[in-house]
Amino acid sequence: MPIIDYREVLKGLVVQEAMRRQVISLPKTAPLEQAIRFIIKYKVNAILITAAPKEGLGVVSKTDLMGAYYAGLPLGTPCEAIMVGPPLFIGPQDTLDCALDAMRSQKVHRLYVRENGAPQTLGVLAYPDIVGLLYRYCNKCERSLRARGGAAKSLPDHLRIREVMTAGVQAYQQDDSLQQVMEGLAAYRFGAMLIKTPAGRPAGVVSKTDLILAYKHGLPTDTLARCIMTAPVQACDGNAPVVDALKTMILTDVHRLFVYQDSSQNLVGVLALSDVARFRSGTCRACLASRIIS
Amino acid sequence: MSLTARQLMDTRFETLRPEMSISEAVNIFQRTGRERGRTVFGMMVTDEAGTLLGLLSIYDILLLLRPKHIHIWGEMEDLEVSGLLEDACRRTKGVLVGDIMTTDVITITPDTDLLLIIDIMIKKHVRRLPVLADGKILGIVYLSGVFDRLLEKLAG
Repeated sequence: MPIIDYREVLKGLVVQEAMRRQVISLPKTAPLEQAIRFIIKYKVNAILITAAPKEGLGVVSKTDLMGAYYAGLPLGTPCEAIMVGPPLFIGPQDTLDCALDAMRSQKVHRLYVRENGAPQTLGVLAYPDIVGLLYRYCNKCERSLRARGGAAKSLPDHLRIREVMTAGVQAYQQDDSLQQVMEGLAAYRFGAMLIKTPAGRPAGVVSKTDLILAYKHGLPTDTLARCIMTAPVQACDGNAPVVDALKTMILTDVHRLFVYQDSSQNLVGVLALSDVARFRSGTCRACLASRIIS
Repeated sequence: MSLTARQLMDTRFETLRPEMSISEAVNIFQRTGRERGRTVFGMMVTDEAGTLLGLLSIYDILLLLRPKHIHIWGEMEDLEVSGLLEDACRRTKGVLVGDIMTTDVITITPDTDLLLIIDIMIKKHVRRLPVLADGKILGIVYLSGVFDRLLEKLAG
């Protein structure tokens, strides 16, 4: 483990410390049905499509599969027909800072890892991996507010969810079709869409996972959103510490929480794991302040 | 005299259908276990015509229940885990057997020798091998059945 640089917690951390070594992959001829099955079974957001074992050709993500559903492609279509390629690679010794910059500038949610010039893929790095590593470092950091004052004392100084969240919530109605929901997800580049009752109350969420399962189960795209939505809506108080939301997301396998203010019916924003990762620090102000100085 | 899959296989077997929910599959696991007097850890999945489509094992179900980021849990203080298992079980509701079954199934024929069966089970880390002839399922060989026969041979 490298020495923690207190001016910038990410400095000195490299990709191979955060990456996952299990890369879920399929050959280019594998049908879309198998890609969906692997995404559900291994709880990943994308599959690496390969030519030779571990040699990445492209990527099929939940977004690509949702696009195939929208376009009405048969589930037997080979992955190579919809894959996006080539995958974006980074080296195992590159810094996490560099990886985050690449993910942000290229607008991708994951990077595959390989040695420069080598064909074999060694691992994959996504936002949850970075958040997990930061959580680990934050706990060990001597300067963290937690270490200096204990959890209860430090809470008022912790970053609040409302400071990190993406403000504003787009929503669809329970009786809107999956086709409309998919159009919304694509237009806003969201991973999930809030579904409301006719009275405007939060009713549930339709995620890309729900949509690709609907695709695999053969549901037509004019199916109503309420037929597949997940309820109730997972939400958190905007005034709560980010660390609490992070804990909830890590424990319950969700990548985003809707944020409410005053009442759980009043949703004002969304906090995604990627928001927390983009903040480039742990979750307390000790780190934030030191980065401003640097 | 050598032993083959024909003598080792269990010809009484229940199968699952890909459109069954996970809870339906688990109920069949439990019911079959009660009837046989032993815990059932996996079953074959077939279509209407009885063609083998895959296997669903308890491992596939555990993989679905296991939280994705559990490796970070050790770092977390004041971990509150009450209700998490129930949440994980609730999340399986929309998932069907066909969504998580293993489809690259290794099969054997009735004439496959016991020693070859042992070799496959060791190398491929599998505990059950469907026995097929001309695409039709005849039975299934379990690791426990192989072990029982080996104990008989070793004791004798």
